[in-house]
Amino acid sequence: MKVLKILMVFFLSVTLCFTFGVSSSMAAGTVKVGIVLPLTGPQAKFGEVEKFSFDLALEEINAAGGINGKKLVLVIEDDTGRPDVGRSVVEKLITKDKVVMIGGGYSSSVTYAVAGVCQQNAMPFLVNTGSADKITGSGWDWIYRLNPPVSHYADAVTSLLVEKVKPKTVAILYENSLFGTKGAKSFEKTCKKFGYKVLLKQGYEHGGIDYKPVLTQIKRLNPDIVYMVSYIMDASLLMKQSRELKLTPKMFIGGAAGFTLPEFVENAGKASEKVISATLWHQVLPFPGAMDYYNKFVAKYNKPTEYHGAEAYANCYVIADVLKRTKSFKNTDVKKALSQTDMMTVFGPVKFTTWGKLKNQNIAGSYVVQWLDGKLELVWPTKHATKKFNYPVNWLKVWGY
Amino acid sequence: MDVFLQTLVAGILIGGIYCLIGIGMSLIMGVMGIINLAHGQLMMVAMYITFVLSAYMHVDPYFSLIVAMPALFLLGCFLQKYLLNPLMKVESILPENQVLMTVGIGMVLAEIARFIFSSDYKCVKTSYGGSAFFISDISFNVPMCIAFIFAIVITVALFWFLAKTDTGRSIRATAQDKEAATLMGVNSTRITIITFGLGSALVASAGSLLIPIFYLFPDIGGPFTLKAFVICILGGLGSTVGAIFGGLTLGIAESLGATYIGMGYKDMVGFVIFVLVLVFLPGGLVGIKRLIKS
Repeated sequence: MKVLKILMVFFLSVTLCFTFGVSSSMAAGTVKVGIVLPLTGPQAKFGEVEKFSFDLALEEINAAGGINGKKLVLVIEDDTGRPDVGRSVVEKLITKDKVVMIGGGYSSSVTYAVAGVCQQNAMPFLVNTGSADKITGSGWDWIYRLNPPVSHYADAVTSLLVEKVKPKTVAILYENSLFGTKGAKSFEKTCKKFGYKVLLKQGYEHGGIDYKPVLTQIKRLNPDIVYMVSYIMDASLLMKQSRELKLTPKMFIGGAAGFTLPEFVENAGKASEKVISATLWHQVLPFPGAMDYYNKFVAKYNKPTEYHGAEAYANCYVIADVLKRTKSFKNTDVKKALSQTDMMTVFGPVKFTTWGKLKNQNIAGSYVVQWLDGKLELVWPTKHATKKFNYPVNWLKVWGY
Repeated sequence: MDVFLQTLVAGILIGGIYCLIGIGMSLIMGVMGIINLAHGQLMMVAMYITFVLSAYMHVDPYFSLIVAMPALFLLGCFLQKYLLNPLMKVESILPENQVLMTVGIGMVLAEIARFIFSSDYKCVKTSYGGSAFFISDISFNVPMCIAFIFAIVITVALFWFLAKTDTGRSIRATAQDKEAATLMGVNSTRITIITFGLGSALVASAGSLLIPIFYLFPDIGGPFTLKAFVICILGGLGSTVGAIFGGLTLGIAESLGATYIGMGYKDMVGFVIFVLVLVFLPGGLVGIKRLIKS
């Protein structure tokens, strides 16, 4: 028995030494920041764009001298798109990697879970994509957000509807996740406000093979607008099957997320043409460095980037800026520096204020993009537009019938 | 009326693929008396074979059937011979340890796929992927129809095999009464191996046929294992004819549920039917037939 005890103590101390050794291996000349992103799983495509953008920004920041001479290191962890995994990886980042702050956060469900852990551990967390309102609307003071909340994603779409499309009836389809449900709800509110009749509002479980039953129903109701909040694979399937059914409303509108990725046009093919989507960024916007970032990304990774990437790229620069200004790397000092942020990024000006019920929220605009000839073009608001908004659309002709 | 017909068409077409999945499981259940809980994962393996052939060698998904089916047949035979049959000889507390083994096999297959392909969603693009034809306003998706036709052909071929060939008759004999079959000179160990291979090949065909319509990722198997199980219960355990009815019923029920109850409740409809059948009609659809006879 005694031998066993001694052995156990021995092993325990060895393990302890090992973990301690790892954490103290943080060299004097580096600053560690934790990033939580979905690198595998259903949302991996989004995570990929964001990771590439973080890498790009990180290279530039370190080439320009890093954080006051110290090298910035990003510890990127994979949340696999699941809240429980998100929780455990952020706990690991805080306790084992001893990062000075956290960035990233893709899906709302995961970001909300991660934000909860950060708040408990008094760890500053700068969200760049997770968009459910309650992430910054829960009164948590350690959580800051670069991107606008999902309830404002459709602001530009709304003004486009009011001024150009003037619909009377609307059908809303959404994935029954946190992001989808909230996005659909706030769009429904908008519809009520402007007197558009919501003929159908239906959630679906992601991963369905056949959306035709619900699309047939929509076809019968014949709404002016079909509004969809979906991630990538469902977005493509929905458009492909709408084409098969010859479902022709006045306009198909995507609520950002799945409808702006280059993979959308790859998977949906012809069915993606002329679809419009809310977006939060486009390379032609008059923000310093926006076009540069786009070109650099294309040159390095040989594929286009979109708003998710810009959010990540801007986030990395904000993190660097905060860490340059902070007095020390203590959490309260970092938080103070975060609150005083006032800078220009490729994503637009960044400043954390109170926006309605939301706390530590950056106020950013939203825009409308349309897929024209397989390219994502900014069509609204007109003063920034690269192409004219294509409307009305003869869907059957576009789809090659 | 259009909505109803379109829903029905969608249900029947997807039902064809469900049939293939269900028959494979039913066959295994009939001969071995166990539920193969790695069934969906075997389909996932076939889907990845099809994906690799299509993405790297530009083989059409339908042509890859001739690779995926034999490959999965061999994989199935291997699993039965070296992993499941040895368990029969071991005395253990649980008589169902073969079932537990299939759960383990399923997990291992999914993790291997994740290791090789990561959990990204993959998609095969074909020229006909989104094409459809119309019969008086009802849309028929071309790959779905092709899949349905393939399903019929494969099912007919299977029935011919079971009815006319020696091996097929031996499989049926083993399913009816294993001991009697053994006494009549049927090598029942060999039959179980062939049956598991056959079941795997059938679900492999379903996987390849799904590729042009759907996408794939390592965890795609789980939901399909569940579907296969529901189909078998609906049709009556171990009955191949029952599995056809079960597959079509499930396809139509899901489709109707999605239209008339709500897209989010689609899967629930399937499981409600499952529970109802278990409570009121434990023999499945085959049970009805027996009831009528008696």
